[in-house]
Amino acid sequence: MDFMELLNFYLMPGIVLGCIYALGAIGVTLIFSILRYAHLAHGDLATLGAFLALAIVSGFGVSPLAALPVAMIGTAVIAVFIDKAFYNHLRERPKIVTVMASLGIALMIRAVIQVVWGVDSESYVRGIVRPENYWGLRIRDREIYTIAFMIAVVVALQLFLGRSKWGKAMRAMSDNPDLALLSGIDNRKVIILTWLIAGGLCASAGVFLGLNTELKSMMGWHMLLPMFAATILGGVGRVDGAVLGGLIVGVAEELSVLVLPSEYKTATAFVILLLMLLVRPTGLLRGKVL
Amino acid sequence: MKTKFIALAGGLLAATALASVPAKADVKIGLLGGVSGAISAMAPSMLEASNLAIKQVNEQGGILDGETLEGVIGDSACNPQGGTDAATKAVNIEGVSVLVGPHCSGAVLAASGSVSIPAGITMITPSGTSPEITGLEDNDTVFRTVSSDDYQGRALARTLKDAGYEKVAVAYVNNDYGSGLANAFKAEFETLGGEIAGFAAHEADKASYRSNLAELADGGADTLVLFDYGDGTGLTILRQALENGFFEKFVGADGMKSEALIEELGPENLTNFVTSAPVGEKSDALDAFNKAFQADGGDPDAIFVTTSYDAAFLAALAIEKAGGDKAGIAAALREVSNGEGETILPGEWAKAKKLIAAGTAIDYKGAAGDQNFDAAGDVPGIYALFKVNGDQFETMTEMK
Amino acid sequence: MELIGLLNYALFMAIFIGIYALLSLGLNIQWGGAGLFNAGIAGFFAVGAYTSAILTSPAADGRLGGYEMPFYVGWAGAMLAAALIAWPIGKICLRFRSDYLAIATIGIAEIIRLVIKSEEALTNSARGISSIERPFGDLPYVSSQAAFLGIVLFLVIAAYFLVQRQFNAPWGRMMRAIRDNELAARAMGKNIEYRRLEAFIFGSALMGLSGAVFAAFNRSITPEAIDPMVATFLVWIMLILGGSGNNKGAILGAVIVWVIWSVSEIATDQLPHEYAVKAKYVRLFLIGLMLQLVLRFRPEGLLPERTTGVTRPEDEKSQ
Repeated sequence: MDFMELLNFYLMPGIVLGCIYALGAIGVTLIFSILRYAHLAHGDLATLGAFLALAIVSGFGVSPLAALPVAMIGTAVIAVFIDKAFYNHLRERPKIVTVMASLGIALMIRAVIQVVWGVDSESYVRGIVRPENYWGLRIRDREIYTIAFMIAVVVALQLFLGRSKWGKAMRAMSDNPDLALLSGIDNRKVIILTWLIAGGLCASAGVFLGLNTELKSMMGWHMLLPMFAATILGGVGRVDGAVLGGLIVGVAEELSVLVLPSEYKTATAFVILLLMLLVRPTGLLRGKVL
Repeated sequence: MKTKFIALAGGLLAATALASVPAKADVKIGLLGGVSGAISAMAPSMLEASNLAIKQVNEQGGILDGETLEGVIGDSACNPQGGTDAATKAVNIEGVSVLVGPHCSGAVLAASGSVSIPAGITMITPSGTSPEITGLEDNDTVFRTVSSDDYQGRALARTLKDAGYEKVAVAYVNNDYGSGLANAFKAEFETLGGEIAGFAAHEADKASYRSNLAELADGGADTLVLFDYGDGTGLTILRQALENGFFEKFVGADGMKSEALIEELGPENLTNFVTSAPVGEKSDALDAFNKAFQADGGDPDAIFVTTSYDAAFLAALAIEKAGGDKAGIAAALREVSNGEGETILPGEWAKAKKLIAAGTAIDYKGAAGDQNFDAAGDVPGIYALFKVNGDQFETMTEMK
Repeated sequence: MELIGLLNYALFMAIFIGIYALLSLGLNIQWGGAGLFNAGIAGFFAVGAYTSAILTSPAADGRLGGYEMPFYVGWAGAMLAAALIAWPIGKICLRFRSDYLAIATIGIAEIIRLVIKSEEALTNSARGISSIERPFGDLPYVSSQAAFLGIVLFLVIAAYFLVQRQFNAPWGRMMRAIRDNELAARAMGKNIEYRRLEAFIFGSALMGLSGAVFAAFNRSITPEAIDPMVATFLVWIMLILGGSGNNKGAILGAVIVWVIWSVSEIATDQLPHEYAVKAKYVRLFLIGLMLQLVLRFRPEGLLPERTTGVTRPEDEKSQ
């Protein structure tokens, strides 16, 4: 196998997949570090975002990329609403209660999707797209968009968290909630902001997954475990860690076929994760230990 | 707070109690489908097809003494927990005469082992293809209208070999359906002197299979034999194989004969794709079903709809033949479809009813084959190879 | 509907509740007692189910098995196997706290599931194992169900009293001390790692037993039964809803959740016939909503943990 083949058929798909995992994992890591629980409805929220975009695509005949911002805003608002209606009043309770609540939310979101959009496989664009050939590198537009979007999001988010007032407030909440409250940070606004960002990114993960494959009512649920693996691999609370984790999980899954029987592909993420936890429990980029 | 909860639980129970007010003396069939869970995309069409049979029965004079036949849908969730739960409710709460389903083999094994066999209720599964079902000690109460995947896998291997395929790669979904077909196919293809240049299972529902495909293509085969579902992972894999030019020719089994493929990938991309699927007696039976199902708004190319229809129609015939006696249904089922007697095609309920009343032997020829059960309650399928023509699948050759 | 039908349905529900109560009690030892976030219940359930299946089923070509041992040997073997596999996992993973342990155990359960699904020589891969011996399986339907329920009830009650005794014994107090204030317990000279491992292994053995009972009840076991949703998350909902730390709560949770899970289908079947398929999706929505309501109004569980003396600082362990 030459290098181009490795790049085209193993690394590139892994990177694209990794970008999608990363978009979800950023949300997971923000919720993990600021609200301090594992949000198990994240996958199904991503499915909801993907189907919202489908509704716009088929309703107005626009391209999926044009539908993306609308779907992101819609999902972000829904995420805030879910928090207000179901998670908010559990805030003072042990976090495990909220984790269970999010599992129930996952079922509810999926049920809504299945009632509204049905259970058939759908796609944004019919037909197949053969890749362009750039000096031997075979890549499609949609893959370039996926990667470019992910990079743009990370740069923007890092700037936001590092420079802006509200970004700093989010980081403060993540580092030390008691101190953050004492210093006058508005807890509720930070939480709303967290959900807006996590919900929007989650929707984008769903849309890009749908763009690169198909839309199915269970697509997000199947992505949940790799997203969590990516989060912990990168280090909880680290946006750049989530990206790194997502890329590693994505690429490792694709490369695993070279060494493992292909039915064990799904296990790759976990094997890496377990090794990681043994060697370096804080994650690659020194996240917090919960 | 406690009271609120009790009120809620009470409400739910009250709804249940309302539900259980004894209904009219309807005759019921339990339709257990994997509505939620792994095959949730396939289940609705399958249930529609079963419902078509029930509808035809009611339109053509009803069952027994003009009673209404009712299909009670239960969610077997494609796992043993859901399967036994749905079967128990259907048998005990609804009092069904026959169970059509569950859809997934695991649920079939569990629901038959813990519910239908002990309760003496006949079960006909339209899609449980596992060879384990053959060997059940079932007092002759478990049947299926789909053949064990061993049969189809071997028939497909012979047909491909005859058609000049010499070197193929095989990708299969890692469940009882995929592995059963793939192993049977491999054994037969190699016996016939063909070469398997790649053989790999994959876990369903991943986003990318390009590395799997690259690995399979490394063996140098130009044909990919794909045992998966056309409205699920099979679609993803076929799309990625076409987009990246991994193979030139593609072959599927009945799970891949799905309209979703044509709709999502476009017929122009599927010129080198063939797929096997069960067909009825000289296809007259299949045509009758296709017409009726299309008129009913269904999609006759959806997966396992023909077997689902046959299962429900056979169930109704058996109830009629047994005169409603639940214990006699299994034996009656064998009588209405043993290859001897006046031929009944899909939809011919009124004719069948008249013949049964007159005591004439009848023989149902189903949309998915003749449905003559062997000693284990299995059917030897009749298969044909299909290709895509326009927006539809079209028969190429019969498979032997 | 006939009365006998209702009785059969009740018997079936009771057996299933018993099977889940064993899982829930096992989890209660781990989470309620020792604060171990085991999200890999399905893995231990699977190991138990397959071990007993291999030990008790008749011989088959191409896979391990054919020992045809009596069911109690199979079930004891299941507990032993689950405990044996829990030992190295616990040894390695228990050093991670709360959420990290959860993701590690989920990962291990997934790996176990993939091995079971793929290794034909061991488990007959995706086809699963059938014709497993079921105690009293030869009796007629109703009596067979009733007799099986008798066995399940016996196991649940025995497990309940054993766990309850442990919880009330010095061992239980020590475990709670470790759970609530690890540093203080360590300072008292308790061997924390060893005690945690103990709780993890005991809990896992109960989960293995539950798997064995499940396989025997269905006379078969297939990989679909160990899906994380029905074999892990559902159990967590039961324990949290029933009241973690309280063994009666663990059992009550199993009762409530399974009743909601099963009976909700009868409720949604009341929707008009043309919505029969959609009703099944509505059912999932209702299950999710019921869960929200119970958590909203009884977030500490229906039967909260009873602690004598000081109450434990809420929330400390999941921070």
